[in-house]
Amino acid sequence: MTTTTPAIVTRDLTKSYGAATILHPLTITIPRGEVFGFLGHNGAGKTTTIRLLTTLLAPSAGQASVAGHDLATDPMALRAAIGYLPENVRLYDRFTTQENLVFFGRLSGLSDVEDRVADTLAFLGIEALADRRVGTFSKGMRQRVGLAQAILHRPELLFLDEPTSGLDPMGVRLLREIVARLHASGMTIFMNTHLLSEVALTCTSIGVLAQGRLVYHDRMEAVTAKYGDERALEDLYLGVGLSEVTA
Amino acid sequence: MTPASIVAAQSLAALLRERTVLLIAGIFTAMVLVSAWMGWSATATVNGIYADAVIYLQSIGQPVPANPLGQTSALGVLRNLTVYVSLIGTFAAIVTGQRLIEADRRAGVLPLIAARPPARMTYVAGKMQALALATAALVTLAAVISGLTLVLLPAIAVTAGEWLRLGGFFLLSWAYVTLFGMVALGAAARIPATAGGLLAATILWLAVTFVLPALTGNVNPTAAINPISALVATPETPVFTILGTVLGPVSLSEAYAYLAAGLMGYLPAGLVPRGVVPPFLSLIVLVAAALVFALRSGLALDPNAGGPDA
Amino acid sequence: MPDLRSPIRIIARRDAREALRDRFLLVAISALSLAALVSLVTGAIALKGDAATYAAARATLLALGKDAAAIAAPEFWPLKLLRGTLEQIEIMGAVIALIAGYRAAVAERGRQTLALILTRPVRHWQFLAAKLAGGLMLSAMTLAVVFALTALVLNGISGVPLTLSDLGRLVLTWAAGTLYLTGIYTLGFALALWLRSSVSGLVYAFALWLVVVLVAPQIGDTMDPDNQVAGGVFASLQIPKAEQDRIKAGFAGYETFRNGIEVASVTKHFERLTFALLGIKDSYTGKPLSVIWADKKGDALFLLLFTAALGGLVLMRRINPDQLTQET
Repeated sequence: MTTTTPAIVTRDLTKSYGAATILHPLTITIPRGEVFGFLGHNGAGKTTTIRLLTTLLAPSAGQASVAGHDLATDPMALRAAIGYLPENVRLYDRFTTQENLVFFGRLSGLSDVEDRVADTLAFLGIEALADRRVGTFSKGMRQRVGLAQAILHRPELLFLDEPTSGLDPMGVRLLREIVARLHASGMTIFMNTHLLSEVALTCTSIGVLAQGRLVYHDRMEAVTAKYGDERALEDLYLGVGLSEVTA
Repeated sequence: MTPASIVAAQSLAALLRERTVLLIAGIFTAMVLVSAWMGWSATATVNGIYADAVIYLQSIGQPVPANPLGQTSALGVLRNLTVYVSLIGTFAAIVTGQRLIEADRRAGVLPLIAARPPARMTYVAGKMQALALATAALVTLAAVISGLTLVLLPAIAVTAGEWLRLGGFFLLSWAYVTLFGMVALGAAARIPATAGGLLAATILWLAVTFVLPALTGNVNPTAAINPISALVATPETPVFTILGTVLGPVSLSEAYAYLAAGLMGYLPAGLVPRGVVPPFLSLIVLVAAALVFALRSGLALDPNAGGPDA
Repeated sequence: MPDLRSPIRIIARRDAREALRDRFLLVAISALSLAALVSLVTGAIALKGDAATYAAARATLLALGKDAAAIAAPEFWPLKLLRGTLEQIEIMGAVIALIAGYRAAVAERGRQTLALILTRPVRHWQFLAAKLAGGLMLSAMTLAVVFALTALVLNGISGVPLTLSDLGRLVLTWAAGTLYLTGIYTLGFALALWLRSSVSGLVYAFALWLVVVLVAPQIGDTMDPDNQVAGGVFASLQIPKAEQDRIKAGFAGYETFRNGIEVASVTKHFERLTFALLGIKDSYTGKPLSVIWADKKGDALFLLLFTAALGGLVLMRRINPDQLTQET
């Protein structure tokens, strides 16, 4: 794999359950170094897309390559290259932050896991949480430990599923800063969200999913040039969504 | 409708949509049918053995004793029912009691109910009513199947007195299973962890069914669930006499087995119950205690603990 | 080539630490040991009572100048006292194993840790194998403590040290018990993992436990014609053994059916194997292991196949993270 390979390439990637199609054939290319915002209403198929790209779900049809690794033929190498933070992450309550992170780091095959944990905690500014049990944490603290496990092994590509869900404004700002720093370090980030303000502030490109179909995909500059401010972006998002819903 | 009956009606409607509860009720019904068939089949076999034994005894000129089964009540063919009520019926009641609280908690509706005018007492009373009605429905189903079996089985004549005793047996069984259901309801109210109430009530039931009989009368676990083998006298040693006296009154499964055998007419002659407290009295006191436990636990229920995000 | 055992070891080690930390292991060992010891001690007390009754009756007969051979002396085989202990393992042990299996599944379900594990370079079967290894270890450790304790108490009660052969039989019984409990653990784990909600899985597992562990062996027992009458039907009619066998032969179909229900239950196979090993069943008391093995290898094989087949099914069935990462 070369660093010029796109971070994500999908061709007609589809997920159906019986007669119900959750994700209609999705064809998209996301270059490396992007912060890609995946917008859509609840139930649009965003989480299903992340689960497909992280090997948690097997596609019904189509192909995908993530970080240069084919989804179907090379899932283990793919997993080694990605980090994933699910929505509402819950870790092992009875274990401390340190113990949780050491466990997940070892599963990622890290040999210098203790050092990596220390570095990651410092990077996120949560060294003070190291020896506290996760079961006692607030949602925001749990989210940061969840993020720590996702970036611990320095993945090429990070998947964040609704990372700001349930966070207070301070937590949202903190997360935004962390994403910016990870982006600056060269990491590609794929982020599901329905918070338009986040997309405008954080992302370099966006895609809009409505009823399982990709209805819009462009770079952020193009979106801003075309739609101007955040309000116009909202019109795009809601308009696309509503027209799909009422179609 | 009173507020409590609104809660009860809603809870019963929810139970009817719970596949798990319906499955256990289905197993229970199937086992009632099986027990009726087993009783009939085993009785027919013993009668066959007796007929062969008569021929043999007559051939060697020995006196022929009376058919040992002929001396027991016609209800004796249903003796396995006591086992299935105390195993599957009780478990069905435990699952029902736990679901009545836990389903509300998992659905996240406890805070919505707690923020409405009816007092907590109304909610708990509604849940307890729902449990009592659900177990009554289960036991009634068993009663109907058993009654039909007795009417349809050939060569069994049931007297009016026996029908009454059968009715008494089902009333006793209802009280017995509901007691465990109430414990599960109370435990689920006190323990917010998802399966906490279910596990606590099941462990109590296991201890009552399999450990207490060993302590009071050296009854091993497999004998404890055999309608005949469980009915043995307390070994005549000082230890068992003391243990029987102390633990006999709370050895609920033995009290139930003793009373059930008496009603169904297969209690061995002269067998005395464990301890000095009559089993009937033990059962009444323990049912009352279970009701109080369920009520107090329901009143102490924290609507904010647990829930869908727990 | 990556070390395939590594993820299994890492996950199993974490599970073991959690079991120690939340005291489940301690509670499981204490509960089963208590139940086992209660049955052992009460059995011993009852036997002591029988011995005292015999001694008194013998003394009376001798005092009257009669022959004491007319009454049979109660036989004392220390391992026979483990009947109740084995039955507690059969029943209570099975419940503990089911709960342990359920816990192994819910430790990951609905809290997203499963998603975190499965998006790492870990194969599904490795994750499952780690969980099954945890069950095997838990069963082995719990039963090791139970048997060590019962052996100690047995030594104390009988006053006669257990022989090497006795200890060997105990070790074989421990192995059979470990296999049995691991099978039941796997059942609890599989149902809690496969069904739509883990609590439904637990309820279904309990329902299966009722049918397989309690009802099926119990049906065989209660349908035994000799159990229809207190004291036994043949005894009440005073029919000699040879004639009993002839009469029984006339009901072969009924007996085959009764036996068929019994052998459908893994519990009955565990019971038949271990009751023979420890000489609890009279026809095997004092018999050498080679004779017992010749008779009971079918039961041992059933036990092995039951656990291996369940384990194989669990390993082969792909995890559905879509269902498991969200608790319903």
